[in-house]
Amino acid sequence: MISRPAPRPRADALSKATGTERYALDQAPAESLWAGAYRPGAALGLAHAQVLGLDEASVRAALAVPGVLRVLTAADVPGTNRQGIIHKDQPVLCGEVIRHMGDPVALVLAESAPALRHALALLRADLRPLPAVFDPEQALKKGAPLLHPEHKGGNLLLGARIEKGNAREALKNAPVVLRGEFSTPVQEHAFLEPQGGFAQITPDGLLDMTVSTQAPFRDRFEIGHALGLNPLHIRVRAPYLGGGFGGKDGSTAQCLLGLAALHAKGRPVRLAWDREESILAGYKRHAVRLRYTVGAEKDGTLLALSCRLVYDTGAYAHLGGEVMELGMEHAAGPYRIPHVRIEGRCVYTNNPIAGAFRGFGVAQTCPAFEGMLDALAAKLCLDPLALRRKNALRRGDENPCGVRLSSSVHLVECLDTLAAHPLWTTRRDWRAAAPPFTRRGVGLAAVFNGMGYGRGLPDMAIAKVEFTEAGEFLVYNAVADMGQGNAAAFALLAAQELNQQAGAIQLIQPDTERCHPSGSSSAGRTTYTYGNALLKACGAMRRKLISRAAMPLLADELDSLELIPGAVRHIPTGRVVPLKLLAGYLTHDDRVCVAEFLMPVAQNPPNTGRDFLIGFPHLIFAHAAHLARIEVDELTGRVRVCDYLAVTDGGKVLDRCCFDQQAQGGAAQGLGYALTEDFQLREGRILTGDLSTYLLPTALDVPDVLSLAAEGDEETGPHGLKGVGEVGINGPGPALAAALEDATGTRPHQLPYTPERVLALLGARGSSRKRRRA
Amino acid sequence: MNVLFPRTRAELFQTLAEPGARVLAGGTDLLVRLRSGRETAAALVSLDKIPELRGISETGGEGLGRGLRLGATTTHTELLAHPLVRARLPMLAQALSELGSPPIRNMGTLGGNTCTASPAGDTLPPLMALGAEVELASARPHGAGTRRLPLAEFITGPGRTALAPGEVLAAVHVPLPGAGWMQHFEKVGRRNALAVAVVSLAALLRTERGGTVAEARLAWGSVGPTVWRCPEAEAVLVGRRLSLTALGEAAAVVRAHVKPMDDVRASADYRRTVAGNLLLRLVAL
Ligand SMILES: Cc1cc2nc3c(=O)[nH]c(=O)nc-3n(C[C@H](O)[C@H](O)[C@H](O)COP(=O)(O)OP(=O)(O)OC[C@H]3O[C@@H](n4cnc5c(N)ncnc54)[C@H](O)[C@@H]3O)c2cc1C
Repeated sequence: MISRPAPRPRADALSKATGTERYALDQAPAESLWAGAYRPGAALGLAHAQVLGLDEASVRAALAVPGVLRVLTAADVPGTNRQGIIHKDQPVLCGEVIRHMGDPVALVLAESAPALRHALALLRADLRPLPAVFDPEQALKKGAPLLHPEHKGGNLLLGARIEKGNAREALKNAPVVLRGEFSTPVQEHAFLEPQGGFAQITPDGLLDMTVSTQAPFRDRFEIGHALGLNPLHIRVRAPYLGGGFGGKDGSTAQCLLGLAALHAKGRPVRLAWDREESILAGYKRHAVRLRYTVGAEKDGTLLALSCRLVYDTGAYAHLGGEVMELGMEHAAGPYRIPHVRIEGRCVYTNNPIAGAFRGFGVAQTCPAFEGMLDALAAKLCLDPLALRRKNALRRGDENPCGVRLSSSVHLVECLDTLAAHPLWTTRRDWRAAAPPFTRRGVGLAAVFNGMGYGRGLPDMAIAKVEFTEAGEFLVYNAVADMGQGNAAAFALLAAQELNQQAGAIQLIQPDTERCHPSGSSSAGRTTYTYGNALLKACGAMRRKLISRAAMPLLADELDSLELIPGAVRHIPTGRVVPLKLLAGYLTHDDRVCVAEFLMPVAQNPPNTGRDFLIGFPHLIFAHAAHLARIEVDELTGRVRVCDYLAVTDGGKVLDRCCFDQQAQGGAAQGLGYALTEDFQLREGRILTGDLSTYLLPTALDVPDVLSLAAEGDEETGPHGLKGVGEVGINGPGPALAAALEDATGTRPHQLPYTPERVLALLGARGSSRKRRRA
Repeated sequence: MNVLFPRTRAELFQTLAEPGARVLAGGTDLLVRLRSGRETAAALVSLDKIPELRGISETGGEGLGRGLRLGATTTHTELLAHPLVRARLPMLAQALSELGSPPIRNMGTLGGNTCTASPAGDTLPPLMALGAEVELASARPHGAGTRRLPLAEFITGPGRTALAPGEVLAAVHVPLPGAGWMQHFEKVGRRNALAVAVVSLAALLRTERGGTVAEARLAWGSVGPTVWRCPEAEAVLVGRRLSLTALGEAAAVVRAHVKPMDDVRASADYRRTVAGNLLLRLVAL
């Protein structure tokens, strides 16, 4: 057993548990106006339509509601009226065309929430239906309706290829060749705190926003571009988020909110999406179709893999191309494969907008490559764990994309830890002891997730630490904390590096006016990149304080001084100068240390993946091995997850509590993706538009997830750590499929594994009654 | 919107006579519908402060024997905590324990579940199998102000009841099954809490010595507009032991007769298959 120190409370634990921590909207001044978007598509059942305008009588009626101030349309949007992180293709307000049912065509400003609601209910838009397309493969056919006629590729947002060796030839000659098709659904982030915030134009003309965002620094440029504002005249503050998971990476409500503020005559204005609007208009996980061919030796050594992936990006690009890039980069799994050909197409349709989501394009590929490995194990009568171990990437290997892995790789250790665990070693007896009408199954999966932005987009953070007048320390966190605990990790790192009690470290949350640009809270990079910068800044601060204490302590050798909690001490004599006193000797400028860190990238990148603008390839990966033990009810197809084990390679563990929470939260969200979250669309209409039909797993649906660390050391990481925020969500999809195959004899190829689909799997292997009697 | 809290029956009926007034119990159904705009109300009349609508009492026997009067505003949590409900009505207790979540059970009431008359109302199949009756109260002068109806007649369609304007549900009367009756309830939802039933089955069976079924009452939720009974399947079981063969035959009869719906939670085919399959679980009784 691994011994664990008693968990230390996170820096944000008490304020969140007692409810004193304030989300963005909670901080809106009471006198704020209310703004809200009018999205007519859903009510009219139109996902693609020409906007002829707002019905004038309805606008008059809305404006006649007491307290209603403005009804804004595309004509009121200064600037390009186009938002988007890389591709600027999404109107803030649609003036010509709506491309999915959640597109907004007007923005209402009112004095109160009821007035706003009333006005929104009165508005009517004149829409002329356009032919629509909802299937990404149909959308690529000739003559399909075009979503963005000006886009060169038609409905193809991005087509790309990653190649290594000669997969075609290798597959022709491989002794064993297997094929498989898979599909994965849309997933909703369903964070506790929906999108929103408040904003105001200050007397000196600054747009000052407090919003729920993962990317405060980049938001300024997205908003500035869309609304024709100087990005540097926009201030974005990002207090703690109530969840993000990728869904708040990029402007959600920000551009609408900025537009509202521009028309609010200097008054503060708030904009809050309720749950229904969050589901209707928010970004989602891409649905993907995957077709695989894998070739191997008779002993299970992988020889070649080729696959074709189709990502449905919905109406706008958001980060579709980049999401697909990461998915493709992981599509061959964490295995040594000499010949690889991965083709991807990311396609516009009239479905809701897909974008970033924890496990960024990768969670979709894991059920596919792991499905192929299990099929291979079954075909060759090999133990699935041994097959993975045999092919698992190790440090120094070239990965399927041709990158030499000079970073830490501990997948084998993850698998070995899993193999030695009683949940695995006792699986046969456990399985055989199934109660009546119940099948038991055990499945495992090996998964991974790249860290950082990848080559071509500098992954940098700039940390700032201030020695306050009171002799304490203030860390200027510049990467939003959406709940994952990076701010707490920063406080811990600073406390360690400055040798102070945790309570002596105060935190400021991201604010573009006070902190330095440090990128988005995403890509498993947050603690790694900012943490590295912070360690440098704190190291400089430590050296500075020691040198500034030399004079008052009359020490002529700096080596004789050390920073201790609350003071600098002269080691030979034991004399101290309290930090409080020392602070008084320093000018403000001297009390600040700033340092930056740039994530290393793959050297000699392979000559492939040229279609990607940025982000290919990655160098550092977190790995994990997951194990699920499940019961399947033969009468209903319901699945109960009895035990779940996640073994994670995240480098060194800085804070065991936060580490486990990432593994457990990731597994829980992955279990939702695999089992209960069944996002249903019909002709672009969301049938599961609220949380009574879109079913997140509850506390009764997720077992206690056991998290173990296969601790390694990523030399480039702060104290040896790697990001573990994403890898955990990648395991449940494939692990549950494997467990279902073990239980029913048939593998599901389509997520989620609903009771209905599971009952069909049972049916596929003959009548369940026969087996029961046997 | 006004929320009124009458303290006596007389006040209650007076306030209810206001145009647009709606009865409010726990609000767990009503507030959802009001928020969505599917329904409107000018004022809400809370039953909270009227003592005789709340609580559980024993009543003298008729039909199956002694019974319980379950006050309409008794919450699911209160029902679940009651020793007689747990001991003598395990099928109802099972249904209540899977209804919503702890906060919903703390607010939601039996009367609300009954008056909502949802095809998926979890207490309805057990109450129907048990032969429950409803006690309705209105402003009419004594005696005439109360009437009783079998639950099966009270619920007239999905979301529809025989409540007359100005009338409230005062209580649900449930006979307590005597010795020799076996009770079973199973709910199939898409997750383990806060799940609307996709199919549910309440089964009340009396067996004789040797395990032969003397009487069978089966009631399904979520497979039709209201709770669905299947006398043909009940007839298959009577006179036989609860073997897999007998239950399998009854299941086939169920599948042949049931006419469920497709919706976002499950297909009609799934419901049909599972409505039958659930009977097989009775083999363990
Ligand atoms: C999150 C959530 C989960 C839920 N899960 C379940 C579930 O698993 N199973 C289930 O069956 N239900 C579920 N429900 C529905 C609901 O909780 C139950 O139906 C509950 O019993 C309703 O009771 P209430 O007291 O809250 O009714 P209310 O909402 O107060 O009233 C419901 C309706 O009945 C009328 N009414 C109430 N009492 C009386 C009376 N005494 N006389 C006349 N009319 C009356 C009201 O006017 C209203 O039309 C859920 C609801 C929510 C919000």
